[in-house]
Parts: sequence; C-alpha cells; structure tokens
Amino acid sequence: MNLDWSIVWQSRWLLLEGAAVTILLTALTMLIAVPGGVVLALMRGSSFKPVALFATGFVELFRNVPLLLLVYWAFYVMPVLTGLGLSPFATGLVALCLNVSAYNSETFRSGINSIRIGQTEAGLALGMSKGEVFRQIVLPQAWRRVLPILASTWVSLFKDTSLVSVIAVGELAHTAMQIRSQSFRVLEMLTAMAAIYWLMGYPQAKIVDWIHRKYGVRE
Amino acid sequence: MTAFTRKNADKPPMLIYDKVRKKYGNFTALDGVSLNVNAGEVVCLIGPSGSGKSTLLRCTNALETLDGGEISFESRPLPKTEPEMRKVRQRMGMVFQSFELFPHKTALENVAMGLTTVRKMGAEEAHKRATALLTKVGLADKTANYPANLSGGQQQRVAIARALAMEPHVMLFDEPTSALDPETVGEVLSVMRTLADEGMTMVVVTHEMSFARRVANWVVVFERGQLLEEGPPQQIFEAPTAERTREFLSHLGWNG
Repeated sequence: MNLDWSIVWQSRWLLLEGAAVTILLTALTMLIAVPGGVVLALMRGSSFKPVALFATGFVELFRNVPLLLLVYWAFYVMPVLTGLGLSPFATGLVALCLNVSAYNSETFRSGINSIRIGQTEAGLALGMSKGEVFRQIVLPQAWRRVLPILASTWVSLFKDTSLVSVIAVGELAHTAMQIRSQSFRVLEMLTAMAAIYWLMGYPQAKIVDWIHRKYGVRE
Repeated sequence: MTAFTRKNADKPPMLIYDKVRKKYGNFTALDGVSLNVNAGEVVCLIGPSGSGKSTLLRCTNALETLDGGEISFESRPLPKTEPEMRKVRQRMGMVFQSFELFPHKTALENVAMGLTTVRKMGAEEAHKRATALLTKVGLADKTANYPANLSGGQQQRVAIARALAMEPHVMLFDEPTSALDPETVGEVLSVMRTLADEGMTMVVVTHEMSFARRVANWVVVFERGQLLEEGPPQQIFEAPTAERTREFLSHLGWNG
C-alpha cells in the first residue's frame, strides 16, 4: 500500500483551525449548559407544578434522544418551527446545549439533593432567605461534589462535538473528512484525526482524574 | 415545699406556646402543648426520644409549621409570611445536634456569615465581631480552621458563636451535646452555662440531666407529644409528681 503522510503536514493549518473550532464548541456549550443545568435543576425542584413539569419534560426529552438525531433535528426541523435561520455552527451549538443542559441538570439535581437538609435549616435559622441559602450554602457545596462529574461530561462532550460534522460545522472531524474526500488519503487522514483527538483528549482525561482525586467525595 | 416563683414572672413571657399541635402523617408529634418561657430563664425540655421536645423547638423558629395552636414570641404571634419570619429568626439563635457548620467556610466565616449576609455588615466589622465571639467560646486560635479540622466540641462552640453573632433574644438548643464524644461534652456545657449566667434566655432540649438539674430554672417533661409535668428542677428531679417522670429518670440512671 502506498501511504503518503505529507498530506497531514500540508493540511496542518486547516486541521488546527478545525481543532480550535472543536475546543470553542466544547467551551461555549459548557458555558451555556452549566448555568442551564442549574436553572433546570431549580425548576424541577419548584413547588409551582407547571414549571417543574416543563423542566422534567425538557430533561427527559433531550436526555433520551440520540445526540446525532438532535443535531439533524436542529438543522432541518428547528428553522421550520421557529423561523430562525441559524448558521451551522449556531445550530450545532443549540443541539449540544439542549443535550448537555439536560445531563447537567441531573448532575446538579443529585448534587443539590446530596447536601443535608440541616445545612439549609442552619442558614434559615440565621434569618437568611431561601435564595441566599441556596447561593451561599447549598450551591457552593453541591458544586464541589458535581465538579468531577462535570469534568467527565466535558471530556465526553469534547468527543461528541464531532457529531455536528454531519451538518457541515467546520470542526476537527468535518475538516479532516473534507480533506480526506478531496485528497483520497483516507487512511492517513482518519489516523491523523484519531491522533489529534487522542492528543487533545488524553490530557483532559488526566485532568479529570486529578479533579476526581482532589474533589471526589470520599466516604 | 415552699412556693416557687419563676424568673421575671411579673413580666410578659418571652415565648408562649398555646395548645400547639403538630402531626407528621398519622403520627401526632405535639398534642396540645402549652408552655411559657420567661425572659432570662433557662428552660430544659426532657423526656424520651420521639416525645416531641425537638419538634416544639423547631416549631419555635418555624422550621416546622404548626397544625394547630399558636406560638407567640415577644408578645406577637409568629408571622405567617416568609419575609416577616426571617426577621423573627434573627432574634432567635439555634444550635443543632449535628452542628451544621458550613463546611466550605472557616470558623470565622461561619460566625460572620449571618452578619454579612443578613445584616449586610461590612466584612471587616463582621470579622472583628466574629473573632470576639470565637474568643468568648475559647476558640481564638481556631478562627482560620475549617470545620473538618475541628473536634466535635469545637465545632459546636463555633455553632454557638455563629448563633450569638446575630445577638438573639433567645437561644434554642436542640440536643447540643448528643453527637459529641464524652470528653468534649463538658466544654460545650460550660459555654452554655456561661451564657445562662449572663442572663440569656435559653430553651434547651437535652439528655444531660445534671446540666438540667444545675443550670435550668424550669424543667419540662415530655411524653408522647404531651407535657407530662413541669416545674423547678428541684421538684422534677427530687420529687416528681408523675410516675412516668420517675420511671424516665431512673431509666437514665438518675437517682437524685
């Protein structure tokens, strides 16, 4: 077999750009889906039933639909339903945010529920409002407990961003696939793509391990 | 027996419990409890587990809602709305069995928290006040420690300082020494005794009979959500009128 690895070096700037888009997509998704998850978790705990019901429906819907399907849905159906004509990047971002917010909501819900009720009572007994108790006592403690799970979600998300390549978002997977189809260097490009994902993903996984060791709940 | 006059009996009581009822499903936790607490008194609530002592204490600052009857504090019924109740809670300090210090805050921050958050006091002044209170409970050298690095007795003393920071008119103690190692019970009781000597009004749910005997001005015996009997400690511990009080005390190994 005749292998020509020079195509990888020649495409380095394109690949780097793709990698940058991948990182940007991951970061933006988390930036939206972390507060989104907190809000959804709070809504699910609301004593106002319609709000709780809406949040539960949202979470159960977007958590249980394959992400790939969600990406296609956001691309083909969302513009029809909403009349919005978003760019592929924004469309991909919406799909990822819907999915990851739903996951983060469950993460935060379990984190918040794991804080003893006595902590809330101690705050209330001082004369604090429920909001103050949540922001200053419950959330900071829950945050520490969910941080390792959020870090794992980040690493999964980093890899899952490759799914938005199907709607032509110029991230790493899409870029590599494009070069592959133009150069016919299938083996080289797929290998290069795997190597780049691994090189970027492995350190992240190691950081997650470190976060687990530092913040993980030990009984 | 000579007639016993309660402390500040000539003034309106600080707390009035009037036929207080509380149910959890089918379980009646409080079944028409009426009781007065006068300013400056140390009132100890004793009785078997599940007899309603802690529930009454938790109803006092509305951590539990009543199913009947009324509680008045400083001549006003407890307010029904959350914002009004928050103001009342600022005048009631509470100490929990399991301390409930905030684990992500240092001892100093725990004590200052009510001042900065609720009173909107500046950090510098709040920390000064918190330092003074931690000194008062004997923890001047532990201000920077996190709760995880304090013993049970030290944590409970921080919790007392945290409640005192709000300058409460009454302190509610919910079994403050039940979760402590025996060797640290004494340091917490001694802080409580100092408070009592300073004239703080205190309602104390406790199984520490010798503390109740020595420090309380008034002792209330609970059983099955009802008030079995009440009286000055001499009477309750030396000549209880109810047979069940005698049984309860002898069960705890109390023999006068």
